[in-house]
Amino acid sequence: MKTAQETSRVLTTKSHSPAALPDLPGWLKFAQAAESMGIESVLLSFSRYEPDTILAACATGQLTTKLKFIVAYRMGLMQPATFVQQINTLSGVIGGRVALNIVAGSSAAEQRGYGDFLEHDERYARADEYLNVCHAFWKSNGEVSFSGKYCQLENGRLLTPFIAPDRQAPEVYVSGHSEQAQQLALKRGSCYLRLIDTPEKLRPVVQKFRQAGVEVCLRLCVICRPTRAEAISAAEALLPDKEIEKQERKILSSSDSQTLKHALSTADNVGWLNENLTAGLVPYYGSSAMTLLGSPDELARIFLEYKRIGVTQFIIAGWPKLDEMLIFGREVLPCIRKAEAQQGGN
Amino acid sequence: MNLRFHWMLPKGGEVIPGQRQTVQEAARYRIQSTSSSSPAPRPDMPGWVHFVQHAEEAGIDSILISFSRYEPDPLVVSCALGQMTRKMKFIAAYRSGLIQPTSFVQQVNTLSALMPGRVALNIVAGSSKAEQVGYGDLLPHDERYERAEEFLTICRLFWEANGDVNFQGKYYQVDQGKIQTPFVDNHASMPEVYVSGHSEPAERVALSTATCLLRVADTPEKLRPLVARIREHGLEVCLRMEVICRTTREEAISVAESLIPDRNQPDAKRAVASKDDSQMYREGKTLPDNQNHWLNESLWTGLVPYYGPVWTTLLGTPDELANAYLAYKAIGVTQFIMSGWPELDEVVTFGREVIPRVRAAESGKQTTI
Repeated sequence: MKTAQETSRVLTTKSHSPAALPDLPGWLKFAQAAESMGIESVLLSFSRYEPDTILAACATGQLTTKLKFIVAYRMGLMQPATFVQQINTLSGVIGGRVALNIVAGSSAAEQRGYGDFLEHDERYARADEYLNVCHAFWKSNGEVSFSGKYCQLENGRLLTPFIAPDRQAPEVYVSGHSEQAQQLALKRGSCYLRLIDTPEKLRPVVQKFRQAGVEVCLRLCVICRPTRAEAISAAEALLPDKEIEKQERKILSSSDSQTLKHALSTADNVGWLNENLTAGLVPYYGSSAMTLLGSPDELARIFLEYKRIGVTQFIIAGWPKLDEMLIFGREVLPCIRKAEAQQGGN
Repeated sequence: MNLRFHWMLPKGGEVIPGQRQTVQEAARYRIQSTSSSSPAPRPDMPGWVHFVQHAEEAGIDSILISFSRYEPDPLVVSCALGQMTRKMKFIAAYRSGLIQPTSFVQQVNTLSALMPGRVALNIVAGSSKAEQVGYGDLLPHDERYERAEEFLTICRLFWEANGDVNFQGKYYQVDQGKIQTPFVDNHASMPEVYVSGHSEPAERVALSTATCLLRVADTPEKLRPLVARIREHGLEVCLRMEVICRTTREEAISVAESLIPDRNQPDAKRAVASKDDSQMYREGKTLPDNQNHWLNESLWTGLVPYYGPVWTTLLGTPDELANAYLAYKAIGVTQFIMSGWPELDEVVTFGREVIPRVRAAESGKQTTI
């Protein structure tokens, strides 16, 4: 078992980190535990520091039965027709248990290493065309032609369909905090994925998406302990050394991602967003370390508060991931289900 | 070194465990696999796993998974099949121009780490112009080879690199590329790369970036100078063919001839017509219908005018076939990729009748040297 500090982005992106290698035994242990705890999907993140998400989902999916895989992919790394062919094939070999998390790109430097030289705003313009082409393949029974600025194809045809018991196309999560990301999610996504913020701050955003028929999913970390005080001291015990902070700050501040910039400035200017939501770990563990902490009852109440403003999904991580997931499944989820049942099961 | 025998992955739905196909049914299924009503484009894990297990038992080294818009993605299929089988290697076909080389290396390396030592690549520059344009690739034939060369050069930089990869080409630019997931294999730092094609540009790409040239079988006499040239550069040569093995030669010939289509059948010549951009298919098309289709006593091209050059067929008795493979070995060919009708029956026959005879001769030879 790795310590929390060893799982920081700074250390897992070093060239000697085992995080670069697929870990089927570890993933299976986690996936099976997640299935038994009532977790619906796992998100597989994309970067040059990690194994390819489509193939990782394929291998793990062969050895599991219920869990879905939300596969993160960046636009511009392959032709949309090729991407659809891979995703459709994946759906066919794992019983349709695949969804997509579309990311326009993370940092310009990382994109250039993939042969992609577009800047932030153009990456979103391309992602829009790209998803448009993907949707055309999923909708079409015939040929797809498209003549855009970034994507051109004529009479494209893929005979392998998206195969799932209940859908003809995967759910598409679009993430990003910028205006372009939100527009892309509204236009081409089935769900907008963003970092957690307070319910007050999120209410108007969530409303806008729900009115357009798009769900909202929040990305967060959780620390659940018997009391809030214990949860806070658990969070404090996670702080790694100054060197890691220095390096993570460099990653966050050099990125052209709005999400990363926004998370870091929240950490520096605000710290605690409310009594259960802290940005304090962001400078050490990256933007997705916005953390909700408290007792099981507090956390269940908070998730239901998000439900009231229209949020429908959450992607959660913790330190260590397996332990925190087990606590969440055992302590928090049953409280939420009980409350939902009392409210009439919606 | 012993000859290596590989086999094509059957189409989806082609192998149904517990059900038998006739030779004619198997051929028809394959011909019709590109029609939109065929179940072939759907991944078929039960049929494939059944086939691969039999191929493993037969002594087949690797399975080639072809790439086209009519089939599931070969990398994803290799990954799924690799998890469900133990020994078999997979040669995944891919076309350059459909994916950035950096992303491709990330996928191939991930695959290799999930099934170490069991991943090889067949890089194809493209097939028909119409199919390429449907993928968003608008380059003409010869430029596709130039691009394939850049593509593979970048891939090899990643596999050989200790640091970042930089490349400034006509088709690809990579600036400080880095893929942290390594290629994983106990014996190699990169996958075997088969480059296929019959044109001069194809041969050039193979010589500069591949480990093996893959082409359709011809007679040993015709192939000798080519094989010698390729082997001198340190590359291997692998031949693609159909195989029909029967107890008697007459039986094998009658099976082959039973596959010649009725001239009124609308499917005839479709495969040839649809790939008019490929040198290999152009060569196949120039074979006249009424010519004697025997290139030598075992190699028959009677189906090529209808279905394209990969239907070039080696046929005969187990002894005749074993001798034919050894004749290729004598001129320096080291590998073969086969298929048959039906795939399952033919691979079982091949493993039972032909491979043991080849191995016996190979080991006999080794003791006399």
